[in-house]
Amino acid sequence: MARPANPHAMAPSRPGPTRTAPPQVPDDFWTRPRMRTYLLFDATGVVYLCVGLVALRVAWALAAGPDAWQALMTSFSHPLYVAFHALALAAALFVGVRFFRLFPKAQPARIGPAKPPPRPVLQAMLYAAWGAITLGLLVVLGGIWPS
Amino acid sequence: MSDVKKRTFVVTRFDPDRDQVPKTQSYEVPCRPDWKVLDALNFIKDEIDATLSHRWSCRMAVCGSCGMNVNGEPKLTCKTSLEDYGDTVEVAPLSNFPIIRDLVIDMDGFMEKFRAVKPWIIAAKQRAVEEGTYRQSPEQLAAFKQFSMCINCMLCYAACPVVSQEPEFLGPAAIALGHRYNMDSRDEGQPERNAVFRGEGTVFNCSYANECSEVCPKNVDPAAAINQAKLNAVIDWATSFVVRREK
Repeated sequence: MARPANPHAMAPSRPGPTRTAPPQVPDDFWTRPRMRTYLLFDATGVVYLCVGLVALRVAWALAAGPDAWQALMTSFSHPLYVAFHALALAAALFVGVRFFRLFPKAQPARIGPAKPPPRPVLQAMLYAAWGAITLGLLVVLGGIWPS
Repeated sequence: MSDVKKRTFVVTRFDPDRDQVPKTQSYEVPCRPDWKVLDALNFIKDEIDATLSHRWSCRMAVCGSCGMNVNGEPKLTCKTSLEDYGDTVEVAPLSNFPIIRDLVIDMDGFMEKFRAVKPWIIAAKQRAVEEGTYRQSPEQLAAFKQFSMCINCMLCYAACPVVSQEPEFLGPAAIALGHRYNMDSRDEGQPERNAVFRGEGTVFNCSYANECSEVCPKNVDPAAAINQAKLNAVIDWATSFVVRREK
């Protein structure tokens, strides 16, 4: 069933001659599957905020010296930290996939003389770039290169 | 007829002379298998309750009149087959719009938003008749044709989570129409419209939920138009620092 929506939504600047009922929305508007996915996407912002705070902690430990750094590294092996990083990875994958799905159609048909490639090609290029950057980071952070 | 199936329609009713708030009323309707939701509403109006008010016209998804919420989802009722629904079907006026009567919504706010994006060809100088027609290549047409297929059914406004929270938001169809003219090779009004698009309650209020494109019955993809318009508005703003424009 329905419940009242924002009373000013789509209201004309001057009321017409007939009395109108305020706008309504379905009761389950926010819990429908597509809307739930969208809200989940929005909620990943909280995860990124937490990742930012952790990054600040890492920077602080780096400046504080070897003991602080070692203590931080030890704390990262705590199950709660491992779970948090798994959540951050899941959030990044979720947002990445959604972004790559919606990004191609947001490209204008033409920017000046340049014409973007077809959407599937653009999508494949995005995934390829993502994979290449991830691999590069793994190689550098894993100490494989430079040796 | 054996293939007739009885369905219950729970329909929103509102009489501005008697009701303070909308209520619902149930109708038992003998539906044929090939019926659309609009057929059932017309049956109610013709055979059961002549006081029911709803808008409709073409019956072939062209006029955009018969948009309503069917089981909470914005739909063109002339295009929505009853085969896809169970024994009970809820029909309500489109979300986010003031209700004039029963299933009829107030469109005045929508029309005001349309005017804001200047949905007409803006040309610095009108072409003389002897100069011939304005010609466009198929490629130039393809740049905006998709966005010109909108039938103003307003389903996108009923689906958009931003419209429901920010009444000043121009909304999907109006921005898509503005973008349609911005992409038209005959038009010279991009700076004016982009100035509108950079204002409050326009393209940058869109959070790209993509709901407008999900419910669009004509595959106009307003979400694509809005997000293309974002980029164009930024490019136009940056260009204004290096290219002098006549006032």
